[in-house]
Amino acid sequence: MNIILQISFIIGILIYFYILFYLIKKKSLNLKYTLLWIFSGLVMLIVVIFPEIMINITKILGIIDVTNGLFALILFFILLILMSITSIVSSMKEKNKQLIQRCALLEKRVRELEESYSEKIFK
Amino acid sequence: MTFIEKKGVLFLKTLIIIPAYNEQECIKKVVENLIVNYSEFDYIVINDCSSDNTKSLLETNNYNYIDLPVNLGIGGGVQTGYKYAMEKGYDIAVQMDGDGQHDPKYIEKVIEHIKQGSADIVIGSRFIEKEGFQSSILRRLGINFLSALINLVSGVKVKDVTSGYRAVNRKFIEIYAQEYAQDYPEPEAIVNAAMYNARILEYPVIMSERSGGISSISSLKSIYYMIKVSIAIILYRITFDKRRTKA
Repeated sequence: MNIILQISFIIGILIYFYILFYLIKKKSLNLKYTLLWIFSGLVMLIVVIFPEIMINITKILGIIDVTNGLFALILFFILLILMSITSIVSSMKEKNKQLIQRCALLEKRVRELEESYSEKIFK
Repeated sequence: MTFIEKKGVLFLKTLIIIPAYNEQECIKKVVENLIVNYSEFDYIVINDCSSDNTKSLLETNNYNYIDLPVNLGIGGGVQTGYKYAMEKGYDIAVQMDGDGQHDPKYIEKVIEHIKQGSADIVIGSRFIEKEGFQSSILRRLGINFLSALINLVSGVKVKDVTSGYRAVNRKFIEIYAQEYAQDYPEPEAIVNAAMYNARILEYPVIMSERSGGISSISSLKSIYYMIKVSIAIILYRITFDKRRTKA
């Protein structure tokens, strides 16, 4: 791999980590959900610093150009992260539904209580 | 079991769950009919955040209702009714549409089997006696397909799988309060029940065409509906065993 390309990749990854840690510091990212981002960042860093790993893997897999192997790897991580986001959204939706139902049931109880209370007062 | 006495007869505590979404034309007629002619049953209307006057109608007439603050769709609405039935200790819950398609005169017969303990779930079916409103041919084809699919994955034979007119006993009030399919819940709820070894029975009823409002399934969406429900049923069946062992 070309040394200039390698250096710009490293700079790019450093920016990536800077943004990631900035968001974590600002508490706008839940640490539990950022582990996957940190992990994929580390993998990218390793691949850029030791490009031989990637070159060997792509050779074994029969991928002619190393960059294509890199794209495949990135795509894999993006899919992984998207899937985890879908799972997070699904569980949030379920919790949201339960909250709405609970809220509606409680609202009904409050209404009934208010009615019986005002009945008592006017008696 | 709790028996209540009304008109000198003993009744199991029965709740009629009426999900309502934009049903201002019919809801009054449906509820008045229940109050006047079927006072032995309690009822609850679930207003699924209607955008029309359904809520103010319920409020001004002092009906028994639950008002969902956010629209949940038919599944979430009906499930709220089951949660209410569970909290209040009902023995039987009957689900009935708020658009006047379902005649409450069948309730007594429908819950008879549950009272006797010979069935857990009774579904009011249009296709046994083939009388009354039968829906379009294409839609019936779809219903037959879903019926065959449900039979394949769960072994239960139900003809009218999309019927929203059904009664369940205490055991399934509790199960449905815990888990109930959300988007197009009727067929999936049958598979769900079958996984808990429900004894499901169909009782012939005559349904009328909707007298107001619009069906929750428009013709354009029906293909999407078929695919979605089929996948949901199959996925539910495949992933169920794991959950059962956890429970």
